[in-house]
Amino acid sequence: MQNPGGDEAPRPEPTIEPSRSNPDRRTALRALVTLGGCAYAGVIAVPGAQFLAPSAEDGQGKARWIRVGRLEDLPQGEPRRLAVVGDERDAFNVTKDQQLGAIWVVREGEKVRAMSAVCPHLGCSIDIGADKKSFSCPCHTSRFSLAGAAESGPSPRAMDPLDVRVTEGFVEVDFKRFRLGIAERMEVG
Amino acid sequence: MKLGDWLDERTGHRAWARSIAEATVPGGARFAYAWGAALGVTLLVTAVTGVLLMTAYAPSSTTAWASVAHIQNKLPAGWFVRGLHQFGAQASIVLVVIHLAYTIVRGAYRRPREVTYWVGLALAGLVLAWAVTGNPLRWDQRGYWALRVETGIIGTVPLVGPKLQDLLLGGGEPGSATLTRLYTIHVFVLPLIVGALAWWHLRLSRKHGPALATPADAVKIDRWFPSQVARDLLVSVVVLGVIVALTYRGHGAPLDAPADPTSDYPARPEWYFLALYELRKPFHGALEPIATVVIPGLVFAFLAALPLLDKKADRGVPRRLTLLLPVGLIGLGAAALTLKSIRLDTADADLGKAVAKAEARAERATVLAKDGVPPEGALAMMRNDPMSRRVALFEQHCASCHRMGELAPADGKDTAPELTGFGSAAWAKRVLEEPDHDRMFGKTSFKGMMPSVTKPPEDPEAAKVFTPMAAADMAAIVGFLEAEARGEKTAGTQGEKLVRQRCTSCHRLDGKTDDEESLAPELRGWGSNAWIQAQIDDPGSGKTYPAGAMDPKLEGHMPAFKDKLPEADRKLLTAFVAEERSKKR
Ligand code: FES
Repeated sequence: MQNPGGDEAPRPEPTIEPSRSNPDRRTALRALVTLGGCAYAGVIAVPGAQFLAPSAEDGQGKARWIRVGRLEDLPQGEPRRLAVVGDERDAFNVTKDQQLGAIWVVREGEKVRAMSAVCPHLGCSIDIGADKKSFSCPCHTSRFSLAGAAESGPSPRAMDPLDVRVTEGFVEVDFKRFRLGIAERMEVG
Repeated sequence: MKLGDWLDERTGHRAWARSIAEATVPGGARFAYAWGAALGVTLLVTAVTGVLLMTAYAPSSTTAWASVAHIQNKLPAGWFVRGLHQFGAQASIVLVVIHLAYTIVRGAYRRPREVTYWVGLALAGLVLAWAVTGNPLRWDQRGYWALRVETGIIGTVPLVGPKLQDLLLGGGEPGSATLTRLYTIHVFVLPLIVGALAWWHLRLSRKHGPALATPADAVKIDRWFPSQVARDLLVSVVVLGVIVALTYRGHGAPLDAPADPTSDYPARPEWYFLALYELRKPFHGALEPIATVVIPGLVFAFLAALPLLDKKADRGVPRRLTLLLPVGLIGLGAAALTLKSIRLDTADADLGKAVAKAEARAERATVLAKDGVPPEGALAMMRNDPMSRRVALFEQHCASCHRMGELAPADGKDTAPELTGFGSAAWAKRVLEEPDHDRMFGKTSFKGMMPSVTKPPEDPEAAKVFTPMAAADMAAIVGFLEAEARGEKTAGTQGEKLVRQRCTSCHRLDGKTDDEESLAPELRGWGSNAWIQAQIDDPGSGKTYPAGAMDPKLEGHMPAFKDKLPEADRKLLTAFVAEERSKKR
């Protein structure tokens, strides 16, 4: 592979065995070098993997109470769709007063029941049927009862209920999101 | 083995693996050859960490800083990846210098290795360019101001300079267009060129083998793997150790406050440009390009010309002294300039103060960013932050005359009373004792209007009849003033009584005074938030000073800010000054 040229005298062909050490030591050195190389790569790869793997569970279980409207504006027994407005967090940005999503609420006496308007199948927005007797998803025709139970279609579970409280006449909801497409109800952060 | 055969038939990977396994190092493996390899490996580390950072970085003037802060403080191992990337890049620069120095001392640039050397030299320049395009991507103060200076220097290059500058900036001022361009150069163009050249450099150096001192040395021969690789790895591991240590020490790479084009930032280049920074100092005006363009250009040209100047067969160092000496002198000169620059800066107290201020801003920015950065960007976040804004406002509008704690007139030439501790008993006592002190009213048009209550007047006649105020009386008056500042009741106190007897011949109390012509200020509510606010809004409104006191004809009078600053800003300043009265000193 040498290409002697210019001012260098032509090199003699190497005549001795290309190692100064005995074969055992060379094998040991090979193993050591391979190991060292792997260790070196590990120092980069391990933090690299941590860096790339954000967890969907981050921020799970945290309460996010958001005011969605006044109790007195809600009619008894009739589902209403309400916008959820709050601070939108996206990686490093926080944008104030953004629409974060929508929920369905039904007033029952002085209490309010709330469900996420996100379809548990693949995340389309659940609408109310024309007869107002059931909920339906426009994407893959899942149907839910007014109580939220899955009646027909591909949805793997009932509509996701949300915690509600009434303070000083205002309806507040603990706005959460859940993993889609599975029967189990799993919160995502 | 079937699969191996199948694959080998299609890829020929076995022959390739054998060629690596059986590669040899003529003359034997040496640590001296490991620097180039360590450089390659370290560049790979910066490439890998760079790709990782690309997955979380957002290049635009409103998002860049925020995304870097997010990487540094929120993402798992983010600070570590940043640290490896930055210190890896700096280590690469050091390794380039070592590798190049060794090449020159050994005379390894000579026939037939001229092209290998030139490609290497081009790589050295590109590694620097890589660092230069990387630093501003943080869009923090340090990176931003370095960019301004560097593109400014590029602009002074004859003929091509201005065009090149526009091309880099994507317009006149550094902004989002600049960031996107630098980003493209940093993560696409340079890696492509450096990668291609590095590959070529490697091929050429394998082709010619190491430059041996005497050809007879080639009799000795080692396998590349593991003999040379072990040495390469050892040096690489030590280098990585240093990089990791630096990363831990600084908890990643530094991140300054968000870039602010209107700030006065004490810009200093990265350490590897300090020599050039120092070199520039003696050259002024039209001569500046001598230091920024001509000298560095000549040095580079000299290094590039080495293979053409040095053609003798003998590789011995003594015979090439005429060439090695200038190279050595250049190296020593650069080291000396760097040291000098560091010395000068560490001895510079003003710079130290400015740096401390910048660091405080950086810390504040980090705290604010923890809650998320608004979509208008990190600079807007800083500007809307009351804690940072009030300092900036005071500096801009008040500190050219008034001193308040650390915030002081630039050259120490105060022309208005000190506000440190304004509204406190200490301040009230001081104005009674020495109203004409240079830091009280001694530099204002009110000088000589108020007599000290403890010091005899200068006029000997008046001094004869002067009696200092009794300590108890003074304490009562100070108590009155302090209470007024705090908004406490003073009606009927001894202090108020004394003020009526001794002060209202000139001063107003509830708007009443014996001398309507007097310019002395109102004492009711003195030092309170309302009083300070009124003074800032319009000092001649009569609520604090009478209209005549702030006559524009009087030199250095305080301006009315109600027409200059929005109310929110005036409120911030009021609260800022009002805090002084309860500060512990
Ligand atoms: S998303 Fe609602 S049915 Fe598929």
